[in-house]
Amino acid sequence: MEENVIIEINGLTKWYKNAAKPAVDHLNLAIRKGEIFGLLGPNGAGKTTTISILSTQISDSEGKVTVNGLDLKKDADQIKKIIGIVPQDIALYPTLTAKENLDFFGHMYGLHGKALDDKIRQCMQDFGLEDRMDKKIKTFSGGMKRRVNLIAGILHNPRILILDEPTVGIDVQSKIVILEYLKNMNKNNGITIIYTSHLMEEAEQFCSQIAIIDEGRLIEKGNPAKLIEKYESCNNLEDIFLLLTGKRLRD
Amino acid sequence: MWLKYIASTKKEALLLLRDKAGLAMLFIMPMALVFIMSLLQDSTLKKLEEQNTPVIVINQDTGSFGKSIVEGLETAGFFIVSQQINGKTPSEEDLRQLVNEGKYRVGIIIRPGATEALRQKIKYRIKQQFPEEERKLLDLGAISDTTLPHVDVYFDPVTKSNFKHAVISALRQFSAGVVAEMVFDTYADLLNELVDIQLKQAGGFDEMIDFTQQYATPEKKNLIIPNSTQHNVPAWTIFAMFFIVIPLAGNIIHERESGLSMRLKTIPGSNLAVIMGKTTVYFIVGILQAGFMLLIGMYILPLFGMPMLRIGSGLFAFMIITVSVSLAASGYGILIGTIATTQEQSSIFGSISVVILAAIGGIWVPTFMMSGLMITVSRLSPLNWGLNGYYDIFLRSAGISDILHYVLLLLSFFLGCIFLSYLYNRYKKMKS
Ligand SMILES: Nc1ncnc2c1ncn2[C@@H]1O[C@H](COP(=O)(O)OP(=O)(O)OP(=O)(O)O)[C@@H](O)[C@H]1O
Ligand SMILES: [Mg+2]
Repeated sequence: MEENVIIEINGLTKWYKNAAKPAVDHLNLAIRKGEIFGLLGPNGAGKTTTISILSTQISDSEGKVTVNGLDLKKDADQIKKIIGIVPQDIALYPTLTAKENLDFFGHMYGLHGKALDDKIRQCMQDFGLEDRMDKKIKTFSGGMKRRVNLIAGILHNPRILILDEPTVGIDVQSKIVILEYLKNMNKNNGITIIYTSHLMEEAEQFCSQIAIIDEGRLIEKGNPAKLIEKYESCNNLEDIFLLLTGKRLRD
Repeated sequence: MWLKYIASTKKEALLLLRDKAGLAMLFIMPMALVFIMSLLQDSTLKKLEEQNTPVIVINQDTGSFGKSIVEGLETAGFFIVSQQINGKTPSEEDLRQLVNEGKYRVGIIIRPGATEALRQKIKYRIKQQFPEEERKLLDLGAISDTTLPHVDVYFDPVTKSNFKHAVISALRQFSAGVVAEMVFDTYADLLNELVDIQLKQAGGFDEMIDFTQQYATPEKKNLIIPNSTQHNVPAWTIFAMFFIVIPLAGNIIHERESGLSMRLKTIPGSNLAVIMGKTTVYFIVGILQAGFMLLIGMYILPLFGMPMLRIGSGLFAFMIITVSVSLAASGYGILIGTIATTQEQSSIFGSISVVILAAIGGIWVPTFMMSGLMITVSRLSPLNWGLNGYYDIFLRSAGISDILHYVLLLLSFFLGCIFLSYLYNRYKKMKS
């Protein structure tokens, strides 16, 4: 195992019940500490499945995963403490206010008192939501919900942050706020970020490493700029994807 | 862990407080049901004749006999007794006319000196018991056997004959106490005179026998018959307590569908805290429901002419059985929320199953009205365990030890539900 690898995935396979083929098919990946890692692929490629396994939400069928040197199956509780997860769906209580939601998740992570209050206020401010603290989530716009959804995953200062399509369905301004914030977290605190997207252009600019998957299998991985160099006929990741799979991405 | 538990309880409380429809269902529904059902049962179960029959009485007797007839009528509960018309004692002529016109169903005239006549009659009878030669020793004053105490009873001409019999036997019953008292007094006087023993006043002759109402079929031997309040208040309280299944299971499923429970799964140790928080909040709701309904039974229902709920010395037992029912209901909600896959499934299955358990458990139709097989089946419903526990408290002022078996059944039901939910979750995890 390489010195600063924080997540290592070997032969990871996931069969859902009664499925005709695996959602993830013998996937091998190594993610280094401090990386912004993009897991890219079209609808149904197996992105959510992969990171659900990584974040201990579902179990795998086959393979071995280590996180920070710990075995995912044996030391799940240890691993849970150092990862933060931002799900693809908004996982917040609609009838509670932003503050009440964040208080709840903060407490669940064992945070409390002034430290938690300050952290919540700071995050809400960073995301331009300070005047929405005491409003119910169901009155928020889609972009605002996404931002609170993200805050709920970072309150406990995780060392690895896993985000599932955090920029889907929001306007350019919100997207920039979110991506800038993540970049800063990565730069200032050395947090490893794993993020999924089907937006190749966004990933090209945001990620230091990417992996393209399709139908659960790894297609290509590497640094975005280097990959574009490698495939001379291609100008961007989108072209590479088309070249390797013969498919177009959605949108 | 403590902190997580508190936070999770607070979250559940907020969620429920903001769910106005759910709250209304949990508190308004049982109240409405109690009112509707009590009123319906009161009017169908009781014959109209029996209740609130207007009676006019002229009491010309000044002694205890006349007094106890009037008191008996007044406290029997199904007569409305008038002694005055427009502030005046009516004449006999007025009385006959009022009854004839149907303004009063019954008119009663207690003749002057009825008490004295009764006393004379009793003394005479007692004297007759002694052998002839001893009688002159007894100084019972001048006794004549001629006068019988006299009460005239007039009926509305349309009155049915069994109603007449019922009224007459009620009057006999009201006078029986006075008669017994006089018999005792007379013997006491005699004893005093003959052997110089001073006896204390005797009393309580009206309540010498406890008439326990039962049905004669063998299975029903031990069934007790509650009045409408004693049935409806606990029955609909339990029903409403079990209806927390709908919001509770809905809440669990919403958490699962929205990815909230996925997020919670990634937080170490939060699962248990969340389940405990839910159980706590819905458990407290059940307690509040029961307290609320108890107050309605004690203070509100009597205002509408329905019998008052009396808890007697059973408050502690009441609390214990309430705690058990509430836990059983929460456990059931958690089980349904765990097994059902969609909101629709849980609310349909949840409400139908509660209604069925209520029906077989004697919530709708009290067990004492059921037939043999149904009574056996009713014992399978946790709602029936709770209901029987409450019956025992309200009707027999049972203590903890009398209801312990119901408490244990309900608590095992709660633990069983939690255990099944746990097994199901493990099974699901293995399968996925
Ligand atoms: N719970 C499930 N049960 C059965 N099959 C599932 C389940 N979740 C996902 N799948 C299947 O697994 C495959 C991968 O799905 P996954 O959600 O991981 O894709 P994705 O890359 O996240 O797609 P998207 O971009 O749409 O989010 C799909 O074929 C999907 O139908
Ligand atoms: Mg996905």
